[in-house]
Amino acid sequence: MKIVVAIKQVPERDAPVRIDAAGRWIEEADLQWALNESDAYALEEALQLKEQHGGEVIVLSAGPERVGSTIREALAKGADRAIHVDCDDLGQRDALAVARLLSAAIQPDSPDLVLTGLQSDDLGYGQTGVILAELLGLPHASLILHVEKSGSGITVKRELEEGWFQNIELPLPAALTIQSGGAKLRYATLMGIKRAKTKEIRRLTAAELGIAAQASITLDRIALPQKQKTTQILTGTAQETAAALVEKLKFEVRAL
Amino acid sequence: MMVLMPFTLAEPAAFPVLERIVFAGLAIASGALFWRRFGPILHRILQSRKDADFRLAPFGRRMWEFVSQVLCQSKVIRQRPLPGLAHAFVFWGFCAFALVTLNHCAVGLGVGFLSPDGFFGRFYFYFAAVFALACALGILGLFIRRFFVRPRWLGAKLSWESGFIAFLIFFLMVTYLAAFFVPGGSPAIAALWWLHTLTLLVFLPIIPHTKHLHLVLSPATVFLSRGSFSRIPPLAGDEDFGLVAGADLTRLVSLQAYSCVECGRCTEHCPAANTGKTLNPKEIILGLRSYLNEFGPASAEPLLGKHNPPIAPFQCTSCGSCEFQCPVGIEHLPILVGLRRGAVNTGAWEDDHGAKLFLTLERGSNALGLQTSERDKFIQKQQFPIFDGTQEYCLWLGCMGGYDPKGREIVADFASVMRYLGTSFGVLHKEKCTGDPVRRLGNDLLFQQLAEANLEALTQNKVKKIVTICPHCVRTIQEDWKEYGTPPEVEHHSEFMARHLSQLPKPSQQESIAYHDPCYLGRYRNVYAEPRAVVEHAGQLVEAERHGERSFCCGAGGGLAFLGEETGERVSHVRARELVATGAKTIGTACPFCNSMFRDALAASGGNAPQLLDIAQLTARSLPQQDAPSAS
Amino acid sequence: MSGILVVLEDRDGRIGRISWEAVAAALQLASTVSQPVHAVVFGADTSAVAAEAAARAVNSVLRVDHALLKTYSSDGYTHALEQLIRARQPEYVVFPHTYQVRDFAPALAARLGQSLIGDVISIGGGPVFTRLLMQGRLTGAYRHSGGGPCFVSVQSGAFRSDSVPGGAAPIESFVPTLDTAQIRTRTGEPFRAGAQTVDLGSAQLIVSVGRGIKEAENLPLVQDLATALGAELGASRPICDSGWLPMERQVGSSGQTVAPKVYIAVGISGAIQHLVGMKGSQCIVAINKDPDAPIFEVADYGIVGDLFEVVPALTAAVKAAKQ
Repeated sequence: MKIVVAIKQVPERDAPVRIDAAGRWIEEADLQWALNESDAYALEEALQLKEQHGGEVIVLSAGPERVGSTIREALAKGADRAIHVDCDDLGQRDALAVARLLSAAIQPDSPDLVLTGLQSDDLGYGQTGVILAELLGLPHASLILHVEKSGSGITVKRELEEGWFQNIELPLPAALTIQSGGAKLRYATLMGIKRAKTKEIRRLTAAELGIAAQASITLDRIALPQKQKTTQILTGTAQETAAALVEKLKFEVRAL
Repeated sequence: MMVLMPFTLAEPAAFPVLERIVFAGLAIASGALFWRRFGPILHRILQSRKDADFRLAPFGRRMWEFVSQVLCQSKVIRQRPLPGLAHAFVFWGFCAFALVTLNHCAVGLGVGFLSPDGFFGRFYFYFAAVFALACALGILGLFIRRFFVRPRWLGAKLSWESGFIAFLIFFLMVTYLAAFFVPGGSPAIAALWWLHTLTLLVFLPIIPHTKHLHLVLSPATVFLSRGSFSRIPPLAGDEDFGLVAGADLTRLVSLQAYSCVECGRCTEHCPAANTGKTLNPKEIILGLRSYLNEFGPASAEPLLGKHNPPIAPFQCTSCGSCEFQCPVGIEHLPILVGLRRGAVNTGAWEDDHGAKLFLTLERGSNALGLQTSERDKFIQKQQFPIFDGTQEYCLWLGCMGGYDPKGREIVADFASVMRYLGTSFGVLHKEKCTGDPVRRLGNDLLFQQLAEANLEALTQNKVKKIVTICPHCVRTIQEDWKEYGTPPEVEHHSEFMARHLSQLPKPSQQESIAYHDPCYLGRYRNVYAEPRAVVEHAGQLVEAERHGERSFCCGAGGGLAFLGEETGERVSHVRARELVATGAKTIGTACPFCNSMFRDALAASGGNAPQLLDIAQLTARSLPQQDAPSAS
Repeated sequence: MSGILVVLEDRDGRIGRISWEAVAAALQLASTVSQPVHAVVFGADTSAVAAEAAARAVNSVLRVDHALLKTYSSDGYTHALEQLIRARQPEYVVFPHTYQVRDFAPALAARLGQSLIGDVISIGGGPVFTRLLMQGRLTGAYRHSGGGPCFVSVQSGAFRSDSVPGGAAPIESFVPTLDTAQIRTRTGEPFRAGAQTVDLGSAQLIVSVGRGIKEAENLPLVQDLATALGAELGASRPICDSGWLPMERQVGSSGQTVAPKVYIAVGISGAIQHLVGMKGSQCIVAINKDPDAPIFEVADYGIVGDLFEVVPALTAAVKAAKQ
């Protein structure tokens, strides 16, 4: 099976969030970068499929030069080769425009399976994988926890709300967006990093792919949410605090 | 003095030619049998990979260790005084006997060079006799211990081989001593000579077939040791991932594997082996020996498999009591960590908790997986200044000090001690885990990333001196980071406080405090007196049954604090019981990991548990009330 | 091109709360852009849900009926809605941000050359759509530009479903052209994960008990609260160590790592081993008599008090609220 995994480099979870002067994005100068979490699960799923059925895993990532470190990390974990769509105008592209870039890069390889993580940890659109399927003309399924090969197609386990799941059968080729937590991630190893040095990373630019930056939706400005996490201490008698807590759980947390 | 000797010194006259030929033949056979076994062993050791970081220098240190540990038997005696002394007598007996034995064989060939008639010869025979007596008594004592006292760590199975060897040694001495009582020229002299000779010739080939190989190898093992405690050697080249297969075994590892004398001291003190885990450090070494015997040092067969269970190295707390105790110079930690490296660096090790720890540190800054902002909030709340190069010390918080509620209390109290003393300090904005747990777990990639990131931050901030509450941080910064740069000077808060005790107030009441030695402060750093001085300043020091060099681990080291539930009994519970048994009102710790282990263990024990305080907290209690912000 | 389409989802023949919230969002949008709101219902036979939708203050209800829409498929829904949108030319299409919408709406928008503004939490004048970024650490204000409809999905709970007034809207039908061959995936019946004995990892609600409970005999107190909430029972390490609860209920670094929607820590002081196991919970409630207990540091809601009084009161209040 030939599998393309589209991955994204995002600011580390821990990264300090400072709004830049223009108020449209955060200061990137001081950030540490990491592989987007659900993309890590997509990569893991691809690697496990390759280990079971053979084939090739190609990682694909769009972004500026710094993305190279995340690509090497993916190669170290076991991907066979990589495509880096070198562009530093991701901010000017909406989900559709980014997906156009990626689909143009994927097309020549005509993979059996295209995987992406469900959602990015930074912008959180949760659309790229589904749009990719549309652009590549592939059937798709989202929120996938597990993939199994069945005959000429695949059967996937999809997460539904409130602890429910369903199985979906798809023919190949297909595209899937992978939910975090379905598999156990492998850690990066010294051996993997050393082996990755000899693996191919093909660099393409947006111009070479012929995809211009455009957006039908624009991010005007960003702000810190008003409510920061603080501890609310409920006071009163046992009955009063209990009633107050139930009120909170019901209307603020919406868990009852 | 010699006049007082009641017996005459006898030696056979020249042998007939036939006997000489028989002796020569037997001696050659014995030597050949010895070599048939020893030759391949030597070959396997020499065939092993060279130790890339091995240097003979400093020669003086090696000589000193040789004199102290081999010739003076210092470790053997110190760690087990009675059997140690018995062993030392046997050893010294052998040394004294070397010349006698040489002469004994020379006599058999008609070229004896020591004569009871000469002054030196006469002196030496008596000299050796004294040692022979001591040796005979020593071996008798050891025999009784092994077969009748039977300490647990020698294993349930009686070693008849050891019994036979003991008999041979005893018989060698008896046949030597008996000759003093036999009149010269008597036929019994020749008989004794032959008995002694035959015993020798049987003994020689047995040496390489049994653990008595240590007679030959351990002097070399001690002399060639890596030289510092728990030294993790750097990986050599692009294809070195640690101890994966036979081909990764280095000469030192192979030499050590063949040197093991199976005394079981490592097992006796091992926290894992004593709480029902699979790991038994002695069996690890013997497993490597069996591996070498079966597959050899060039094999691609994994080291973790047939002869060593894959789980075993990962149950090690890296407390180091095995390596510390070993009388024959085996360095267990480079081996145990080496086996972990082999499994982790190649991705062969699969463990949910371990993988989680690695993934956490691949992405985040601390081993606990908490947000850095949590640490920032703590720093703000405590009003810790940010290190800017003007302060004397960089106060290194560590993961526990920065994130653990209890660790934060310790840091806060230590900071108030520093403030009271007027010592300037600052904390770093960007501090990552030192990499201690991943270093010990054998993840070289991650360790390098963490060490380099930290070294860079320290260099940028021009940090010259670090002080920290965590002995694991101290060790890792000072020793392990050296592979990737030049770390600043670092000390543990016990050392800092001990230096300033005269300026610190003493409490009016003297309560009893049982001090627990952290492995990484004691055995790893040889710091025993300073924390005790701090404890004595704050109260009445009480020692647990096992303390100092022989202190028992809390169970957290070696990354185990992060590895999930233990099989068997918890190490922390065993140690907590020992500390409670002292009857002290307070347990004093000097490591936030020990503290957190005991916190849980004491909580589970229920009842009237003693209170648990770090030495910084013990000290801070006596400080006058300040307007410092409260902890956590 | 005008009008706002709001796409509703039904479950077991009833329109769900989050769909009403989407209607509320559409109505709010309508008030800023002054355009009519049309509710869209899907299915093989939508007469009942269409009637339900028509009883609210929308301008009209569009029934999209087709045998192939009986069960959800991305292909079927995308084709059907594409046809509807091309036919009606709305300016806005509003969805509830459900798992189903996340599955097809991005593809639908892309097919029409658009990007969806997903998971919107508020709508302001302009209109400006606000959504969360960086895992909720930032908010971002989005605008739609260029031609074509603007696709928006709204976050569950962001708008008030009870703010949608009643009404009597006309019902129209739209019959899409669908072909079995267009539907490339086959969807199985929903199922729940196999009945595991204890699965704290995927529990939505957890009540965890610590040493504050004092005796094993007192555990039923906490168990009652868990039962009332429909929550799993967890515990700190000392509780499991003492054998009061089985080891698989241990939350913490050496036990399970959990991330429920609500985590109620009862009599747990908050040792680091425990904190790292539950810090991912969306909402943490701490009940402890020690106001300095570290657990309050991570809690969203705290009750400083005697658990032997608070817990029974809470159980009673939960039971009352659930009736």
